[in-house]
Amino acid sequence: MTKKLSSLNVLSLCLLACSLVASAAHAADGDWKRGRVYYQKVCTECHTAKAGGPIAPNTRTMADWTKYLNTDKHAKGKEPLKMYVSREYRANIKATNKAAEKYADVPDEQLFNDVKTFMLKGAKDGDSPASCL
Amino acid sequence: MRTGIFMAAVLASMLLVSAAHAASDPDSAKLSKSTSDHTKFKALQQEFNSGPEVTKACLSCHTEASKQLHKTEHWKWEYRSPEGQLLGKKNVINNFCTSIRTNEAACNICHIGYGWKDDTFDFTSEVNVDCLVCHDTTGNYKKPAGLAGNVVTKAMEFPPGSGNIIKPIDLKKIAQAVGKTSRDTCGACHFYGGGGDGVKHGDMDSSLASPDQALDVHMDALGLNFACATCHMTEGHQVPGSRYAPTAQDKGDAHVRGKEYTSNPTTCQACHGQAPHKKIAKLNDHTDKVACQACHIPKFARGGVATKMSWDWSTGGKMGPDGKPLIKKDAKGHVIYTAAKGDFILGENVVPDYQWFNGKVGYTLFSDKVEKSDQPTRINHFEGSAGDGKSLIWPVKIMRGKQAFDPVNKRLAVVHTAGNDDTGYWTNFNWEKAVAVGMASIGAPFSGKVDFVTTESTWPITHMVAPAKDALRCHDCHASNGRLEKVPGIYIPGRASDHAGWLDTAGWALAALTLLGVLGHGLGRVIVSKRNK
Repeated sequence: MTKKLSSLNVLSLCLLACSLVASAAHAADGDWKRGRVYYQKVCTECHTAKAGGPIAPNTRTMADWTKYLNTDKHAKGKEPLKMYVSREYRANIKATNKAAEKYADVPDEQLFNDVKTFMLKGAKDGDSPASCL
Repeated sequence: MRTGIFMAAVLASMLLVSAAHAASDPDSAKLSKSTSDHTKFKALQQEFNSGPEVTKACLSCHTEASKQLHKTEHWKWEYRSPEGQLLGKKNVINNFCTSIRTNEAACNICHIGYGWKDDTFDFTSEVNVDCLVCHDTTGNYKKPAGLAGNVVTKAMEFPPGSGNIIKPIDLKKIAQAVGKTSRDTCGACHFYGGGGDGVKHGDMDSSLASPDQALDVHMDALGLNFACATCHMTEGHQVPGSRYAPTAQDKGDAHVRGKEYTSNPTTCQACHGQAPHKKIAKLNDHTDKVACQACHIPKFARGGVATKMSWDWSTGGKMGPDGKPLIKKDAKGHVIYTAAKGDFILGENVVPDYQWFNGKVGYTLFSDKVEKSDQPTRINHFEGSAGDGKSLIWPVKIMRGKQAFDPVNKRLAVVHTAGNDDTGYWTNFNWEKAVAVGMASIGAPFSGKVDFVTTESTWPITHMVAPAKDALRCHDCHASNGRLEKVPGIYIPGRASDHAGWLDTAGWALAALTLLGVLGHGLGRVIVSKRNK
């Protein structure tokens, strides 16, 4: 049953591992200040108005937030979480939301990474637990 | 083989996604504002085990920085006022945590240095200057209380035996990411003055880290996005705008490039000039008597963080039913009593007090006599009057308190509060022991008796500038019981204390006579026109 790995396999695995490490490092290095503003002015404002109240980053651990963000489910799975940082969503609310207007052209992945960086940094066990709402 | 091809395809996809991501990133095409990438400096490509090691690396390029810092109040915590009083945190007493003396290891985490735990601190040391506390951009730089401003680079239990583990910080990563100061770096200390978020100033708290326009029109994170240093324009690390050297009335002009500055860069006039109201010019007639802040900061503590308005130390030391130090909270979850500190009154959206201020502040210092019969003792007081030609009406926060003093020697008490020793008040709740250590630290006599006096301190309100639409309106002051009702020495039409019944009667009589005259004249015209027909 033992299968010998070809040199192409080994090379690919190494490169894949390097790439994943690089991606993880990138994920931790978003613009946390921009993420903070988006979290406060879009996520928190909407949660306060429509979803029963704000959720501070320091109410969850980094593992909790990572799992939540990777699962990409919002409102108990009814919709993808990433929709709320998409350019399309920002375009829809920018008339009434200054953060969506200011960051209208920021690429989706970049903004999502910014918010993620802020949430992980601000988590209960993060580098700088954040209660800011 | 097929697996290999599949993995290669996955890898290629990932690389393509990364490339696409980079290409679609508008920021990647932006011109970097800094001329240096600190990750490329060899001096910073090492593991650091202490703060001074980082400073040594910084100084290898920024050779003059520490010498500049040594001349600042941020470093010295000492300032000689023009009136001759020796001030600064090292010398004043306040009605919050009262004094840094004997509490240095806790309080001095906000000193821009490493290791100030007692009088042996070396103020001439260049490597003791803490560069990162002001230039960190990661938001991860921390100086835990109790460690005299030192940082933690290996996980440690503190206080020993408490089970509380302090996480280490990555000094290399932080040092390689240094940049300009920000609201976050300044705020790391200035938002937390007095022992907690928003406690001391009322117009500075963590809500200003990322404020909206309604909270501060200049610092609005989605608008002008001012850093503190945008106004506190710094040269050679000398930061203007200290409350120890305040400018109450600035007659200088707006700063213009190429012209020598005649105004303090931190004042409103430094940007807005002497006649800032373009649409309603009448408002400019107020600027010789009223500080801009009086109208443009209608309330303080507006960002959702409460500020302390009163602190009564005399009630400290109570234990709960479980025998542990008592803590009480209000309905909003704010702490309003602790055994360690006594009772607090907190305030949000607070309407300021208003008083004349000419820029001079007098202090009650350790060596000054205090009479219990002359209450409240003014920890500090703003000088000024309507007629001195130098004063404006300023909004202020009045902090009221009740704090320890020696009734025999009649001096405000220096209290040893923090520290895991037998004399710290927060450990043993024994006033006599705590005051004995505190007074000894300044070489002052102590009778062995402790009593309490009521005190007041005054704090200028100058941050949290609201948008123009939220500024005060005429009727806020020109009305009975308006905001300036108690400000003496000035005539303010409309307020109760300037009300003169006879003048109102005369005015209305003149108005009635005028109306009668107009009506009579009109009637005469009608009669004459009919006669002529």
